[in-house]
Amino acid sequence: MAQPVVRLQNVSKRIGGRTIIDRLTLDLPLGEVFGFLGPNGSGKTTTIRMMVGLMSMTEGDIWINGHSIAKEYEKAIRYVGAIVENPEMYKYLSGYDNLMHYARMIPGITEHRVHEVVKLVGLEGRIQDKVRTYSLGMRQRLGVAQAILHKPQLLILDEPTNGLDPAGIRELRDYLRLLAKEEGIAIFVSSHLLSEMELMCDRVAIIQGGKLIDVRTIRGAESRAETARVIIEVDRPQGAIEALQASGLAPVQEGEQAIAIETDREGIAAANAALVAGGIKVYGIRAHVKSLEDQFLEVTGGESIG
Amino acid sequence: MGNFLQLVHNENIKIYKRARSWVMLGILVASAILISILWLSFGGRDTSMWEVMSTESMILFMLLTIFAVVIAASSVAEEFASGTIKLLLIRPWSRSKILLSKYVSIMLFAVLLAAVLFASTWLINWICFGINSAVSLDETQQMLLFPGSSGPFAYMLMYYGMKLLSLAVTLTLAFMISTIFRSGALAIGLSLFLLLGVNNFVLLLGYLEYEWIDYLLFMHLDLTKYIGATRLEDGSNLWFSLGILGAYYVIFVALTWYVFNKRDVAA
Repeated sequence: MAQPVVRLQNVSKRIGGRTIIDRLTLDLPLGEVFGFLGPNGSGKTTTIRMMVGLMSMTEGDIWINGHSIAKEYEKAIRYVGAIVENPEMYKYLSGYDNLMHYARMIPGITEHRVHEVVKLVGLEGRIQDKVRTYSLGMRQRLGVAQAILHKPQLLILDEPTNGLDPAGIRELRDYLRLLAKEEGIAIFVSSHLLSEMELMCDRVAIIQGGKLIDVRTIRGAESRAETARVIIEVDRPQGAIEALQASGLAPVQEGEQAIAIETDREGIAAANAALVAGGIKVYGIRAHVKSLEDQFLEVTGGESIG
Repeated sequence: MGNFLQLVHNENIKIYKRARSWVMLGILVASAILISILWLSFGGRDTSMWEVMSTESMILFMLLTIFAVVIAASSVAEEFASGTIKLLLIRPWSRSKILLSKYVSIMLFAVLLAAVLFASTWLINWICFGINSAVSLDETQQMLLFPGSSGPFAYMLMYYGMKLLSLAVTLTLAFMISTIFRSGALAIGLSLFLLLGVNNFVLLLGYLEYEWIDYLLFMHLDLTKYIGATRLEDGSNLWFSLGILGAYYVIFVALTWYVFNKRDVAA
């Protein structure tokens, strides 16, 4: 794993005796899209607010590129680009004026860079229009534009796919993956859209009730030799079970016309061969891979608000 | 790191790219024109341009104060209301400097309003009453209207200077309320209530014999009494008033910056 660009250490937030975030510790390396997953009210946005210094920490500290957010805010925040909740912009200014506004706040951003970013997020046609006239999707793009203006090393996006249409989501996903791989920056994405996170992220942290519950790797999980639950559709389930038991497997009946076994890739081929040799007709074989949603509900116990 | 003037430039854009600021300036100039024309049509030309300018300035400075308070009160509150405060604060700038840039832009706007009012009342009344004027102020009139100064122009400049000083304190109060309560409406309402409402009680309060009344902010917001024709015989003097205003000013500024730096932004 690469050098962590962000380090959260024992971060806690208490407001009036209530613990919102409870001793959160996380490391984020460069070049990774990191998902931050949790039900509503689990503390995702509070964590993000602390990462960008909008909220103070009760305990612990966050380091970005070795600079403490609590003690060297101005140095630390230089490396961060973020959208916190909705990308709210000055509605009475044009998209371009909004970007120039943020560009002026950081030395070294040229007008050329602003145009480059506008092109990148595909807003060339409407950038001179007032933000008031923008759709939610366009505001989201403008939000991404202001976040990447200064080429941050850490990009924090809170619910970035909110309000985007399927094409927009796909575009954003591809773009984020590209940013992580080509530019080598760390991307921290929060969401409650599980399927979206599954497609977008390399690793996912699951948070509930302010506590970090689990960190899971998503990319590359499929290629590993893991056993999975495999469902085989057959004409005679009883005969199939006998045939498989004879070859050392432990199948169970799954519905009227199917059986299920727990096995790995090689096991699937062996089972198929045994069934065909036993004169059983096989109509279909599919591996039932646990989706992130299943895993998520499993670890969070299906509770919605912790 | 970075250039602070760029922050002020940003805040200026937020003021001047909005129609309301130009409407305010327009209303100010239009009111000056209207009063002069009414004066001209009902009173004729037998008046000194300085007398009209002085009266106009007195009335319209009240309007100017309301406008400036609206801008001062909305600057921080609107960032919170619209949620833009989040994207504004996550830049390599301390919160103090971001707040200062807002404060500077508000003060610049107030000075601009005053300059426009001064210039427009001067120009309009010169056109209406000044050109080929048959009226010339004699010694006694001059002493009555513009005492203790070297002529009406110098007096008007001093008048605006005094007004601007107390305006700065008022705006700082509005800025503080809007920063602490994050509500523009509350800030506008409260500052104007204190300003317009309490000012009417000031004269009444002045008759009371309590020691602490001398230390109330509102006893000292009208500095023009120290240069005006009607000197109050209440024993106060300009330096005492400036001292009191200065003390309040320091408290307002300290509170504003303290609260803004400490606040968790959860809008």
